[in-house]
Amino acid sequence: MRTIVIIFITISLIVPVLARQADEYETVSQQKVRFASLHIYLDSGSRALAAYQFELKATAGEVKIVGIENGEHPAFDEPPYYDPAAMANDRIIIAAFSTGKDLPKGRTRIASIQLQIIGDVEPEYALELTVAGDANGNEIPAKISYEKGDKNEN
Amino acid sequence: MTKENGQFVDNSDLKVSEQFKADLGSLFRPQDSIPPEVDRAVLDRAGRKFIRPQRRRSIFRRIGIVAATAAVVILAFSLDLSRKSTTDVPESYFAQAKSADIDRSGRVDILDAFKLARQIEAAIDIDTSLDMNGDGLVNQGDVDIVAMAAVSLPLQKQGPG
Repeated sequence: MRTIVIIFITISLIVPVLARQADEYETVSQQKVRFASLHIYLDSGSRALAAYQFELKATAGEVKIVGIENGEHPAFDEPPYYDPAAMANDRIIIAAFSTGKDLPKGRTRIASIQLQIIGDVEPEYALELTVAGDANGNEIPAKISYEKGDKNEN
Repeated sequence: MTKENGQFVDNSDLKVSEQFKADLGSLFRPQDSIPPEVDRAVLDRAGRKFIRPQRRRSIFRRIGIVAATAAVVILAFSLDLSRKSTTDVPESYFAQAKSADIDRSGRVDILDAFKLARQIEAAIDIDTSLDMNGDGLVNQGDVDIVAMAAVSLPLQKQGPG
């Protein structure tokens, strides 16, 4: 009798969970999913770039941030700072600095963001530079932009 | 044979000879010993009949335990445990890090972490109030806390939109 009760309770627990998961999987699998990169560039002109912080947000489409890569210049080859809670979200703040002497000038790719795009709506992004700084820690003017990278459809 | 008051009465016609009694006795006398093969067969049948339900009960119990374990595992996985709060830095440090506006810009951003890192590298006298994690040292750990405070998403702003 006790065994039957245990089995009954177990089934009562498993079935709703599996049903929910199956439902979620079905919902996602029915939608078109693809992966794309978003390359972030910063142009500090003639000033050496020692630190940056920016915020990216998806304003259209359904996207999830699935990965973040460091910049192209050796000064920024360490992974940038970001809040892990932003992963699987559509909004993120990314920042990095370098105390080295070899710093990039002009236009440089500071980060690449890997995105999962769900659905057919072409996503749009709002990219805002919070701050850029030189080797003395002074704020410098800079222009931030992004380029959409390769797309891999599933 | 007659019947009186519901009982049979003795009738001399039913008397049998001693020889006949002896013959009947030997014919219906129970056997002294049961052959071992019969014993085994009986035990075997009894075993099959009475032990099998116990085994079945045991199997059901095991299935129940396995199913219960599976339920717990599925339940654990169904909870969104992958979402960490924010890095390995305890959130309690963030409150203090939020006051680490070193460059007095009115906000804590990456330049504050950068300036703290420069001060540590230069080994100059550093304000002990910048010991964010309270370990008695101002070092890279404190720089990380300031930087993480700069990039942390406010909870109310998380999520789509």
